[in-house]
Amino acid sequence: MNAVDLSDVAVNGRLEPLSLALPRGSLIGLVGPNGAGKSTLLQLAAGVLPCAGRVAWQGRDLSEIPFLERARCAAWVPHGVQFEFGFSVRSVVAQGRFAHGDDEKGVDAALARFDLARLADRSVNHLSGGEQTRVLLARALVTEAPLQFWDEPLAALDPRHGLEVLRLARTLAAAGSTVLFSLHDLRLAHALDQVVVLRDRQLRDFGPPAQILTPELFLDVFAVRAHTGPGLTLELP
Amino acid sequence: MILSARMVRWALPVLLGLLAVLAVACLMSGDLHLSAGRVWAGLCRSDELAATIVWRIRMPRLIVDILVGAALSSAGLVMQAFFRNNLANPGLLGVSGGGAAGAVITIAAGWSSLSLWFLPLGSIVGAMAASAAVLVLARRGASTERLLLAGVALNALLGAVTSFVLTQYTGLYERNAQILFWLIGGVEDRTWEHVQIALPIVAASILLWPLGRPMDLLSLGVAEAQSLGVDARRLRRQLLVLSTVLTALATAVAGAVGFVGLIVPHILRLLVGPEHRRLVPLSLVGGAVFVAGCDLAGRAAGGIRLGIVTSLIGGPFFLWLLRKLP
Repeated sequence: MNAVDLSDVAVNGRLEPLSLALPRGSLIGLVGPNGAGKSTLLQLAAGVLPCAGRVAWQGRDLSEIPFLERARCAAWVPHGVQFEFGFSVRSVVAQGRFAHGDDEKGVDAALARFDLARLADRSVNHLSGGEQTRVLLARALVTEAPLQFWDEPLAALDPRHGLEVLRLARTLAAAGSTVLFSLHDLRLAHALDQVVVLRDRQLRDFGPPAQILTPELFLDVFAVRAHTGPGLTLELP
Repeated sequence: MILSARMVRWALPVLLGLLAVLAVACLMSGDLHLSAGRVWAGLCRSDELAATIVWRIRMPRLIVDILVGAALSSAGLVMQAFFRNNLANPGLLGVSGGGAAGAVITIAAGWSSLSLWFLPLGSIVGAMAASAAVLVLARRGASTERLLLAGVALNALLGAVTSFVLTQYTGLYERNAQILFWLIGGVEDRTWEHVQIALPIVAASILLWPLGRPMDLLSLGVAEAQSLGVDARRLRRQLLVLSTVLTALATAVAGAVGFVGLIVPHILRLLVGPEHRRLVPLSLVGGAVFVAGCDLAGRAAGGIRLGIVTSLIGGPFFLWLLRKLP
């Protein structure tokens, strides 16, 4: 059974109808130029954006799953979140346990894992963009949800934290979770099991990166010339 | 937040203690000063004069103070979480404006002199109508921005209705004076009937109590709240209904008392942080403390009306707190 089934999902003006089946225990990258519909696809797959078509998690139609149970099945890390009230780092991470009766299980471990322990009592509003991303990832981690949807988690992170997030995603996938996340740094694509390529709000390709990330695709989708060899280099055509 | 984590735990007991002290002071003060001993004698009905003053005049006024304060303050807190803006308050939605227009129409039409219940009824109908207009917009998937703009438009419309009624009745001095008296807001001459009108505030507060934690998540935005396990649409509907009822009932018994819904949650947030689990009970008690305190100060100053005192005390205190912010 697939972890996520999307059948003819579409959002008016933001995403053309597409169908996609995401396997269990895999690390899946979502790539495409700006405005290709990556965030929209992530949000509807995560069940936070109403859409046409059908979304199913582990074979169950999303509309049949109550909100509290959804939060135990899937975690969503939004991109560029705005905190209106100055919650402490610790309380934001603990929000991930709301659907588990606010038991705070794993909160300390997640704080330590993302180097946030010393910032735990600070207001999230006083953190840098990268630190805020780490807070949201820590919150997603404490949900223990088998489906993880992350919107550009690496965009604001320094190299070390970026690699640690990738390693975490790998670990989660190895343990049976499905991690779908959007990214722009295509040099990291080799670390992924599958890649979803969007272009002009449409599904362009889906498959293992070694098969689908060809120089033709780079030119067609991103309008850049790619040299695959030992490592990926990109240049303007 | 200004208080340390250990002090935060004492915030509710301290506020409750403060409310108890203020309550005694409110029962003592008035045209005829009663000592604490005579207040006690009055409560026990062992002193007939004191009993009449305490039970007939001061107790209903005190209870109205407490209920109005709790209602306006918690309604403000709810709106702030609802709109994700810590300066939002029921006035923004047009709920207060609706209540004012309803009451003014009731007075102008002369219905308020037929029964004590017609004025609050008019206020509640007005507030409900304003909220219903906003709810219709919300049902059609209105964003926060659209809701706020709808509130601005409603407020302008309802303000025009109030002004129109006022200008139409310039000849009827008595009714106009009554309207102005009500628009300023106050708790003079409140009776047990007013307490009865305001009593559903207790029920609304009890319903609001467990919603603090989901309100935390809602203040992150609908999508995030939903992803964390909150039925955000349902919660928003509940919060809108509760804050409307709270505002309408408070406006019905005390007139248009401003500032409470804005300042009390804001001060509490500065003191104990942004978590609504704590803020809901604190704003209920804190609002009661604030209004009872303002009423007492107004009486001590020779009978300044509550609506004037809340703004006179609230405004400068709010500015002082803003200056203290880092």
